[in-house]
This record gives sequence, structure tokens and C-alpha cells, in this order.
Amino acid sequence: MARSIIDPITRIEGHMRVEMEVENGTVREAWVSGGSFRGMEKVVEHRKPEDAAQIVQRICGVCPVSHNHASTIAAEKAYGIKIPNRARIIRNLIEGAQFLHSHILWLYNLAALDYVNPINAVTGNADVKLAYDIAQGGAVPELGVPLPAPLSVSSDLYEVSARLNKFASNGQLSIFSGNWFEAKDVDGGSAYHLTPELDLILTSHYLEALKYQARSSEIAGLLGGKMPHVMTIIPGGTAFVPTAQKLDDLWAMVNEVYDWVEKTLIPDTLALAVAYPEGLTWGGGCGRFGAWGVFERGSLAYNDRYMPAGVLATKGSLEVSDLDESLITEYVGRSWYEGEGTFTAPDFTTNPKFTEYDVNDRYTWCKAPAYDGKALECTSLSRVLVAYARGQQPEYAKKNAWMVEQVDNFLGAIAPVALAVGKTPLEAAVSMLGRTAIRQLETLYIAQLMKDWTAELIATVKGGSLEDIAAMEGMEAADFASTNMTDYFEKPTTDTGAGSGFWEAPRGALYHSEKVSGGKIDGYQIIIPTTWNLAPINQNGEHGPIEQALMDGCPVFDGTEGDLEMPINALRLIHSYDPCVSCAVHVTDVKTGKKFSTVTNPWGVK
Amino acid sequence: MEQETSTVDFGSMLEARGVSRRDFLKFCGALAVAAGLSQAAAPRVAIALEKSVIGAKEGGLFPVLWIEGASCTGCTESFAQIETPDVGKIVLELISLNYSDVLSAGAGYSVELAKKQTIESGSPYIVVYEGGITQGFGSNTLRVAMETGEEILCHAAEHAAAVVALGSCAVNGGWMAAYPNPAQATGVQAILKKHNIGTPVVNIPGCPANPEWLMSVLVQVLMMGGAEALVAGDVPAVVKTLGLDGEGKPQGIFGQTIHDNCERRGHFENGEFVYEFGSKEEELGYCLYPLGCKGPQTKSNCGVTMWNNRRSWCIQAGSPCLGCCEANPNDPGDNWVEVNTPFYERHRDLHIGDWFFQPTVVAGAITGIVALALIIHGFGMKKSGRTDGGAPFEQRRAWDVKNPDKSIGQYEYSIYEDNDPVVLQKAQQEIAKQYEQATEEVAEAAEAAAEIEEGR
Amino acid sequence: MAHLAHYKEAHPLPFVITHWINLVAMICLIITGFLIHFPVSGTMGVARGVHVFFGFVIFINCVVRMIMSLFVKSAPTGGTRKQTADFKSWLPQKDNRHQAGAWIKYYLFLKKDHPLSAKLGVPQKLSYLLIPILIILMFITGLALWTPTAGALAGFTSFFGGAMSVRIIHYFGMFVFIIFMFIHVYLANVEGTEPTKLMFFHKEHGGLVYDPDKHVIVGDDNLQPRNE
Repeated sequence: MARSIIDPITRIEGHMRVEMEVENGTVREAWVSGGSFRGMEKVVEHRKPEDAAQIVQRICGVCPVSHNHASTIAAEKAYGIKIPNRARIIRNLIEGAQFLHSHILWLYNLAALDYVNPINAVTGNADVKLAYDIAQGGAVPELGVPLPAPLSVSSDLYEVSARLNKFASNGQLSIFSGNWFEAKDVDGGSAYHLTPELDLILTSHYLEALKYQARSSEIAGLLGGKMPHVMTIIPGGTAFVPTAQKLDDLWAMVNEVYDWVEKTLIPDTLALAVAYPEGLTWGGGCGRFGAWGVFERGSLAYNDRYMPAGVLATKGSLEVSDLDESLITEYVGRSWYEGEGTFTAPDFTTNPKFTEYDVNDRYTWCKAPAYDGKALECTSLSRVLVAYARGQQPEYAKKNAWMVEQVDNFLGAIAPVALAVGKTPLEAAVSMLGRTAIRQLETLYIAQLMKDWTAELIATVKGGSLEDIAAMEGMEAADFASTNMTDYFEKPTTDTGAGSGFWEAPRGALYHSEKVSGGKIDGYQIIIPTTWNLAPINQNGEHGPIEQALMDGCPVFDGTEGDLEMPINALRLIHSYDPCVSCAVHVTDVKTGKKFSTVTNPWGVK
Repeated sequence: MEQETSTVDFGSMLEARGVSRRDFLKFCGALAVAAGLSQAAAPRVAIALEKSVIGAKEGGLFPVLWIEGASCTGCTESFAQIETPDVGKIVLELISLNYSDVLSAGAGYSVELAKKQTIESGSPYIVVYEGGITQGFGSNTLRVAMETGEEILCHAAEHAAAVVALGSCAVNGGWMAAYPNPAQATGVQAILKKHNIGTPVVNIPGCPANPEWLMSVLVQVLMMGGAEALVAGDVPAVVKTLGLDGEGKPQGIFGQTIHDNCERRGHFENGEFVYEFGSKEEELGYCLYPLGCKGPQTKSNCGVTMWNNRRSWCIQAGSPCLGCCEANPNDPGDNWVEVNTPFYERHRDLHIGDWFFQPTVVAGAITGIVALALIIHGFGMKKSGRTDGGAPFEQRRAWDVKNPDKSIGQYEYSIYEDNDPVVLQKAQQEIAKQYEQATEEVAEAAEAAAEIEEGR
Repeated sequence: MAHLAHYKEAHPLPFVITHWINLVAMICLIITGFLIHFPVSGTMGVARGVHVFFGFVIFINCVVRMIMSLFVKSAPTGGTRKQTADFKSWLPQKDNRHQAGAWIKYYLFLKKDHPLSAKLGVPQKLSYLLIPILIILMFITGLALWTPTAGALAGFTSFFGGAMSVRIIHYFGMFVFIIFMFIHVYLANVEGTEPTKLMFFHKEHGGLVYDPDKHVIVGDDNLQPRNE
């Protein structure tokens, strides 16, 4: 048995540490820790909901739009506002742009370096001509067969190769400092399986991705003023009013991003799956999935959303239930907060209190949320599985048809590997690689939706008929009853109320809840996807989802003493969750004898 | 049994990984060949790699450590949006980014080692520090690799040629420092001051900071002579080359207000305003001033550099400026959230404890109370009969009565000397008469004098 | 008729003029100030122009007024035609001594008879000392807001906690002026409009005669023989 630690985890958002007990080449027990506390809920208290919607974005620079959106929805629920249709479409577009940005950045610029070794393209003397052959469907010499799908080549590979060579000849390692490319598989071989040619092609995609994640952000910038931290999603609608020129720019950009995503992402994912098939056999985690739904349809109903809301509460089952706020609890007994309470949404209450880092006691700034008393995975995988499960329900079948078809294709593709290890394709999808791969289906879906929404926005600005616009949503005109079809902003008519905003960040389910009185926030709560995923041990002694996934057979090379510093599979697993740690750590306010009454624990009210 | 290696011995690290020295030299040779170098260059690369996990300690790229404190990664994200040049070009051809939470390929122990080696290399390097420093619980509200936020910053900054405090949080704590500042956040400059570290600080506020701002500073350093000043440790020269103002901010970026360079300024001067979000006026691109735009008091050149590849910016998209560049490095309380909320009002809220209010409310209330008090007072004056010339004068000052020996008034001359109203009236008339006579005499005398004067 | 005689020696012509200028400038500044803060379509350019113009006017007027007070002579108390250097009536005079409490009591109806006083009573004197300070403060904060990037004012702005603080100080300053004007106008007129007529139109009224050297009322003047 040996301890292996990664601190800091890089290529994620925020500060995260993982500590693992390794036995016989796999992780026996794991503890993950969030390293920073900033105190968002206390800062927004006493300020206006409109201000909070802007300030809470600063929780996370990767998914600011989602926080902005969730907070805005909470304020709209509190004020009883139904946003105008045009505002809904514009907000979907901003959110979609952020998802595209986040997913592209995550895959190529954050996660890919766990699989792709750009230095190998130099040291392995990548044959550029061969690389072109392979990309266009030629056989990979090491495999003897071509890749499942031809790879996109949008860059000049000779130029990329020359660039890498020039970089290597200078000798400074820059972002490759630390040299994790030496990491090993459990069998002692290199953990990086790609041939130099594939490394070269995917490195070219790494560089292209830098451009396209920026182009996606640029869409959010066009509609939101700037990205990160967009400006125009405000309680009541949007501050953005499109002009013909802006619509023109929008149309050009959504097409540009779609074209690249469509030809690049899925083939690359398949290539990685061929090179790293064992990733489908471990890293499953708690097996319960939650999605709060994202991208509004005209009805503004959670279950109608383009990525619908739902909970898969039973491990291994596709039985989907509607989300129930009262089943959400938070436990702080293993985190640096006072007491050992478990609190029920939306009435969480916590005071920070650092003790010391001790995995046998308290070890994180992250709290432990639970759904119906148990850990819940909230990731892109959760959303896709919930959409897939909703698609099996007749009521929602039509709206989720695209996703059902894509998931079926995906399950078909991984079936051989799954059957080889005695799992069903669905079981194999719930794995490190499954979680990593399935996100690309969502990326493609959103890239397509961006085009659809742009068309819809243009139609509505040009005064298209209600029937036409409803049809573009896959809905009936009646679903748009009482919807304001022409404006962009609806003024609040009250200044007091309470509301919760259920939404999704690119990395999972997001929840903002606020109480407003006299136009000022009187209590604010946030549960962020990574809080779910990065949760420490909960009140029942159950590990959090990432901890469980690490303990689900995560292989760590421990062939040589002292070599536990590069547990690359643990890093891959953590990246599959796309964690966003500074999101995950936050605190709620409580003052002696103040307001909160619905607590499930005597320590609740202090 | 923890296995965190603490010594830095590359040879034994190689052996521990089952790599012989010969294998390693072969690897380096391959690297050199691939790089189009002669075989003779191989030992040079080998020596460089053997000594460090950061590769060569010197080369064409300026070493940079990008350290995230209590951050949202928004400034890194923002930097990742730059396209001219793009990030790939920057990290491969311009700087050697030896440590970055977001971009580093390595993780854990080995990136910490890369940071340590950069610091100890003896070569100049720059620290880009993103996020605030939270001092709560002995700075344990920020922990990375078992170090607290303050320790991390101080260790990195002490030997750095300069620290770039990137983003409003790094400048003075940003939103975290807003009331009640639960994590006790502050900025880089304040922490370095607290620990007596004299490394120059370049403050680039903004939430996030615009990538072009950081780029312009890097260009100043890398291409316009800033590097020599940094290497020489010549702080005044650094300040001069980078054009820093009194708060350590580059003047070219933060010397003018948003309002000065706003594309909607013409509408401001014309008095054409947007009074409601999403209105017809917004479509016409009118001025957002009545919606609380903080452009007139926020210094930055957003209107020039714009955002996201110069695609748009806040005001162009229809949002009032929130003033996110407001950050006084010497005062965490002067942070953009505290100073600018409510964002859509013309004034910030003031607060007494947890009671937040608008200046107009208090000023209006006080003015109203004064006006009301005056009205009531007026009725009192009327009732007490003072409105027609006021009450009769006091006969003696109260103090004079108590202190007759030090009396101010010479009451023997006063017409009020006798208290009897009848006598008083008589005396008054008498004195008035005398006075009249006296004044007449004076006037006559003056006339006479004038005549005499004329006669001469 | 218990007030002191209102002689024009109390307010020599130069001060009548500066007072007029103050009145016009202050009203214009307050109106345009509100228009700048709560903008009305089409008025911003004019409002800002007028505001800046009168900002300079009131500041220069204030400086001129203060300089003139050094050599222009005025009556140090009501009810007399004797004159002395005007600045002396801004400073504490023997006539004011120990009278602060009396004034406050009088206005709170705790004292029935009218306190003896100099031209300016104690509270009045304090408020008139405040006004020049306030005008200067408003002028500097106004300049800081008008030219926010001028280097010379950057330190000032930073000292007061940034541009938003300066804006709020300027804003509160306006309300202090408004409150001052309320009280000033009220007190000047509540016991009769004679002081106003004298101040603005140099119209004299008879009344008791006060001797500024003996610090007592020494007579009564109905102005009859000397009415010009």
C-alpha cells in the first residue's frame, strides 16, 4: 500500500488536491480536497438580485454564464417574471456559446494532454506525409488498420511540425514543464499510446481548438459584451438588442464553429477510444445521475429543456424522476465549517472554520451535498443520460430524438469493448473514458442548436409567424400562450419573493436560490456541479462521486517505489469530470437566531 | 507512508523510473535531431533537461510563472481568448510558461518542482498572479500543495523580476473584498508590502483583465526594453518603461475613462438616453448613463481594445459599464463591487452595518426633515408673535447678568435700562429724539464743512 | 417692531452684487445638477455647459467676495451706520460672546426675548464660515468629476476613495447647499421681509439703533428725516 498525491491538479479550474491509498495497482481509497474559500453568498447578501446575477459569475471564469443564468432565473422566479421569447433565444445563444467554448477548451486544451504528447511528435520523428495519410483514412502502421473515422486536417501539418521543432530546439519546456509525458501505465509501459503522427495531428487540433474555443467565446462576447463574465443576461430578459449587422456576424460565427466541431470532435474522440480502450473499464463512480436541465424551450418548463431535467436515482437504471428540491441536502461534517449539520435545500447554513488537513476528519473547503441522502454525479454524462432516459418517455421522445439516436450509436460503438469485459454498453459508458467521450455528443448537439436558434432569432426579429417560430422549437403555437414575442426585457412588478434557479453549467447541475425582500437579497444559496462531484465523505460515510470513481478500479502504476507522483489515470479520471473547484467552495450566511427554520439538524440554527 | 519526494536529483529520478543515463542521452539526441540540430547539440539539451524539469534555464523565451490565488480562472480564460497572437504562439514562441494551473501539462509534485526550479534558476522571471489573497484562517482559506496563499505568493514574488497582479482580485481583492469580506481578501501589492518584499508590482485591474492589456505589458517587457530594466532590478526604469502611474497601473491603459472613449459618447452629449433595458432607444445605441453606467468614473480603455478579439464590449452589447476596473491597490475596501453596486443605479449604496441605502434616500430624507422642521418652526414663530419683527430684545445678556463685573454691554447707555414699560417708552422716545437731533446736527455740521470746503 | 434698523451700510453695494450672483449661480447649479444626475432627454449638453460655467462663476465670486471682505467696509452689527473692515464680521466679535446658547434657546422657544447680537448671530456666523469651504470643496470635487483624468486631481480623487466617493461627496454637498438655503431664506424672512429687501434692493427700514462699541441698543430710528 502506498499513498499517492496530486496537488495541485492542473488543467482544471480552481485548486484541487487528491490523495489516494494505492494497493496492488489500483486506488483503494481516495480523498479529494477543494483548496480555496472565498465567501460568495455573504458578499451578495444585502445587494440587489440584479447585482447578484452579475457578481455570482465571478465564482467561475469558465462557466460564468451559467451562474449568471441560474441567478437570473432565481430572481425571475422570485419576482414572478416570464421572460420575452426573444430574450430566451438570445440567452440560449449566450449559454450555448459558453458550452461550446468550455467543451472545446476542456477536450483539447485541458484533458487532451493526458492522452496526447506533443513532444512525442518531435522526439518520435513524426512522418508528416504519413500523418496526412492516416488522417485521410490510411492505415495506422502500429494498428495495421485505419482509424474508425478520418481525422480533420485544417492546419498545415508541416508548419505545425516545424513549430514544434523550433520550440524543442530552444529547450525551454514552457507549459510542458514537469514532464508528465514520462508517466507510465500499470504495466510499466508509457502511458501515452498515440503514434508520433497521431500526436502531431492532435497537437494541430490542440492549436486549432485554441482558436475555436475563442471563436465560441466571441459569440458570447458579441451577445454578452465580453466573455468571461457576460453583461447582458439580466433578471427580466436581456440588455442585448440585436441589429441586422450583429445578426449577420452571429450567423457567420455559429456556422464557422459548427463546421469545425462537426468534422473534428467525433473522429478525434473515436481515435482516442481506439488508443485507450481500457478507459471504458474503470472509473464509474456512484452511478446515480442528476441533471437540472439547460437551454429553455418556449414553455420554460424544466423537463422541456433542450437538455432536460431529471434524476436517475437508481444505479444502473434508466428510470428517470422529476427533480425535487426538498431531496437536496448538504453535510459539512468532513469540511472546514462549523458543526456537523445536514441541511435541506434551500435552507443551508454554514460558517467557515478551518481546522487542519486530516483525511480522517476534515479535509476540504467543499461541502457534501446529497440527493435523497446519497451521492449524485452531476456532469455532462448525467445530462446526456437523462436526455436519453427522457427520450424513452413518449411525452418527451420527439424532443430528445436526436440525442437518443446519437447515444445509441455511441453505445453500439463501444459495445465490443464492453462485452469483452463483461459489461453492458450502458455500464461501460459510465466509466472514465465514457464520461470523457460522451461530452462530445453534447458539443455537437449544441453546435447544431446554435444554428437553429440563430435562425429562430432572425425569424422572430423579422416578425415571423407564431406557428413558424413554435415549429422551429419543435413545439405548438399553444405552448407560447402568454409569451411576450416582441420585447427583450420585462420589468419586475414586485421587489419581494423567493425563487430557485435550476440550471446547468457545462460541467453539471447548477442551483442558485435566493430570498428577496424590499429589493435586497436576504439569503442566497448555491450548489455547484463540482460540489456534487468533489464532495467529501457524506453523513452516511459514503464517499463523494469522484472519490468513488477513483476507488472503482483506477489503475496506478506502483511498480517502482517513488513513482506515485504521476498517477496519470487519476488525473484522467478527474479531468473526465471537468471539475471547477473554485465554484465548488462557497459559504452561506447565518447569524445568530436569523431566518432559517427548515433545518434537519439541531446544529442548524445557531 | 507518503511518497512525496522532496529532493531534486534528476539522476536518481531517472533511475527510479527505470531509465538509464544512456537511454536518456539517446532520448536527448533524438530530440536534438528532430529539432534539426547537429548531434553535438545533444549534450547541451541533455544538460539542460538533467538540471531541471523546466528544460533549458535560458533560451529565447522569457520565463513566466502564472500563479492562481483565490481566483475564478477568469483572467486565464480571458487570456485564452486572445487571437493576435494566439495562446499557442505565446506559450511556444514568446514566453516559457513554466507554471500554470490551467495550461501546464504536468500536475502535482512535478509542476511544483518546475516552479521551484524557475524561482531558484537565478534567471529573471515574471510572476503573473491571478486572483486575490484570502487571509482568513491564517490564509488557509487558500491552500495549494500544503502551502497557504500568502506563502505561495511571497515565495514566488521574492526573487521575481516583477509581479503582474492580473485582474481586480489580484489588485485589491476584487469582489471578495466587498462587505463583509468574509475571506479577508486583499491584493498582491498589500501582501508584498506586509512581508517587506520590494519586487515591483504591475497592477492590471478588470474583471476579468482584458488579454490585450497583459499582452501590451509583455510586449513592453519583451520587445521595448522592459526586460533590461527588469534584469537590472532597476525599479524606476521598470516604472518608466511600463509607463506605470502612482498605483502601479499602466497609464496608457488606465489613464482615461471608459466615458472618454465611449462609442455612445455623442448620444450622451446630445442628451439621448436609454431609460429601460431592451428598449427602442437601446436599438438606436443611445447612452446608458441613466441605467447606472459607471463609464464616467471608471478608468480603462475598453472602448478602444474592446473584448473577445475586438468583437464587442459591454456598452456596445447594451449593458452599462459595471466599473470592474475600479481597484485601488492600497485599499481593498475600494473594490469594484463595493464601489459600484447597485450596478444599475447612478450611485453606489452606502451602508451602516447591514443597512444598505442610496445617498439620495438619506440626503432627501434629511432635507425633507429640515423643511418640515422649518414649517413647524414657522408656525411656532407665528404663534409666539415673532413673525412681525421678532420678539423684543433682551435687556441684558444672560451672561452679563451673571457676570456683571465682566459685562459686555455698557447697559448704562441702553434704552432698556429701566424695566418699567411706561418709563421705558418715555425713555425710548426721549433717546430717539436726542438721537435724531444729534444726527441732524452731525448732518448740518457735515454740510457746513462741505460748504467751507467748497468755499476754499 | 422690535428689530434693529436696516441700514444699507450693513450690505455695501459690492456685496449686494456678489449675493445676487450667488443666488443665480446656486439655483442654476442645483437645477442643472439634478438634470445631470437624473438626465432628461435633450438637456445633457446644455445642463453640463451651464453647470460648469456657474461652477466657475460661484467659485470666482466666492474668492472675490473673500478678498473684498479684507478692504471693503461694512457695518459690524445691525442698527448702525458705523462701518469696519467686513472680514471682522465673519470672525467672532465681542457682540457674539456667550450668545451661542441664547440663540439656540431663542429658536427653540426656550427664551422669550431676542438675543442681542452682531450682524451675524453665532449659528449664522458658523454657517457662513462653512459656505466658502463648501464652495471650494464643491469646486474641487466638481473639477475632479469634470476632468477625471487630470493628473493633479488623481491624488485628490484617490484620497477621497475613488471617483464614486467624490461623486457622492459632491452630491451630498448639493444637499447641504439646499438645506442651507432653506434655513437661510427661512430665517431671513420669518421675522419680516425687511432684511431681504435690504439685501437685494438696498431698501432701508427703521428700527432700533445699536451701538457696536457699547454693545447695547441705544435708540430707535424711524428713518423719517433721513429717508433718501
